[in-house]
Amino acid sequence: MPLKRHTVQWPWQALLVIILLGMTVSLWIATKRVHYEWRWERVPQYFFYLDEEMLSAPFAGTVQKITPEGTYSRVEIAPEGGGQPTTVTVETDTLKVKAGDPIADNDDIGAERHWKIGPLTQGLWVTIWISFVSGFVGLVIGLITGLCRLSPNPTLRGLAVLYIELIRGTPLLVQIFIFYFFIGTVLNLDRIVAGVGALALFVGAYIAEIIRAGIQSIAKGQTEAARSLGMSSTETMIYIVLPQAFKRVLPPLAGQFISLIKDSSLVSVIAITDLTKSGREIITSNFATFEIWFTVALLYLVVTSLLSQLLFWLERRFARSD
Amino acid sequence: MIEVKNLVKIFEGRGKPVRAVDDVSTQVSKGEVVVIIGPSGSGKSTFLRCLNGLEEFDDGQVIIDGIDLTESKTNLNLVRREVGMVFQHFNLFPHKTVLENVTLAQRVVRKRKPAEAETKAMALLTKVGIAEKAHEYPSRLSGGQQQRVAIARALAMDPKVMLFDEPTSALDPEMVGEVLDVMQQLAREGMTMAVVTHEMGFAREVAHRVMFMDAGKVLEDAPPAEFFTAPKEPRAQVFLRQVL
Repeated sequence: MPLKRHTVQWPWQALLVIILLGMTVSLWIATKRVHYEWRWERVPQYFFYLDEEMLSAPFAGTVQKITPEGTYSRVEIAPEGGGQPTTVTVETDTLKVKAGDPIADNDDIGAERHWKIGPLTQGLWVTIWISFVSGFVGLVIGLITGLCRLSPNPTLRGLAVLYIELIRGTPLLVQIFIFYFFIGTVLNLDRIVAGVGALALFVGAYIAEIIRAGIQSIAKGQTEAARSLGMSSTETMIYIVLPQAFKRVLPPLAGQFISLIKDSSLVSVIAITDLTKSGREIITSNFATFEIWFTVALLYLVVTSLLSQLLFWLERRFARSD
Repeated sequence: MIEVKNLVKIFEGRGKPVRAVDDVSTQVSKGEVVVIIGPSGSGKSTFLRCLNGLEEFDDGQVIIDGIDLTESKTNLNLVRREVGMVFQHFNLFPHKTVLENVTLAQRVVRKRKPAEAETKAMALLTKVGIAEKAHEYPSRLSGGQQQRVAIARALAMDPKVMLFDEPTSALDPEMVGEVLDVMQQLAREGMTMAVVTHEMGFAREVAHRVMFMDAGKVLEDAPPAEFFTAPKEPRAQVFLRQVL
């Protein structure tokens, strides 16, 4: 009889499926009870939609001829009292004139259709780039602060500690308000700059602590070996300590960046139209509250899981030397 | 080559300060191999680490090849590139391949071109018998192999002096020999060496002088033949009885 026992897996997996199904069913019953009518078909238009733009006559004149060209029609208009005719291309099914019609200035001729980016896509994009920029700036701030935190100079160390404690001890929402209403007013900052700045300062404080811990986790012997070869303390940091520390802090750093993406939803309070604010604005016009919030949540989930996949891949690449 | 005058290193421990190196003066001339032995905690490693300024000492002077480490205008980084050091725990850079370990400081500190640094590195890796592992990461190497790479890494800077801080203490017994062989070869080639070790065989065969340290002081400084057969100090006699 071997000590290693083989436990049966399938009843537990079945239980998992049952629990998940139960949760789904109770969710469905719950929405039934509040008489909520799901209208998922309303959601896609907020990603992309076909926009119709009415084109009008540039001047008064006569429609000379209309030549169909696929789904389009070329409408040739000759100006009143002679001169160079102009061609306007519109969708055939929106055509409002016939050949020979006299038209006045600004009369509708027909519409052009374009695919346009909807507010959800736009908001998602804003969330992504705000997170990216503030994450990058935060990484730089965090690196500098983390190094200052370990500096033998008491001034640098004191400033770093003060900054980290101030940021970690106050809520991000309050920081955003202070950054926007106080610093933003004093320095006359744009709301986007204020939002990105507040997020970068916020994440920078946390990254500083992560980087400090990473640097301190590298064995002293590494520094000693590098210094014994004649490298300066800066060279040792750049070539020996930081590469190893960075590799080691990648998992907590990944967590911090994922938090940042989620925390970036707070900038919607200073009227930056990110994913969260787009969602709120859409709901005020279509009342599909449940659908939109679920969609918004799903979009955040997609972005954060893509990021964690990326960092996971990076981690595996760095693991080559292990 | 190395001149030490009244060297003092004090560790401020909890409670009372410890004089790890207590008023040590000595000289190592060019091409000389000095082995420093003594019980653990006797300050021999600390003494060695003071020689390249890795340990900031409290008093005294260390002069390497005419350059005084304590003088304020001395650039320690310039001195250190002339003083190679090999550590007990190898301290290879784990994120770099063996070859990169040996070329990095050449490029960064000596400003050598990559091709030149690589040629030099391969020559040294061949010398320590590990050229075939050049593109491996240190974690794939045995302790003995890692220590030989560490020796090659130090030699790549063309040092005038080599310091060995218990280079075989962390090795499995069967790997001690391969490292000692490399060190012996270096000594034969005329390298100036200061070696802290517990390998009495190495001390007896290779050293020109043996320094016995205890409680931060050099108690005996004699040629190995004399030291191992007729130690004068009672403390050294006791130590030798225990280790031999």
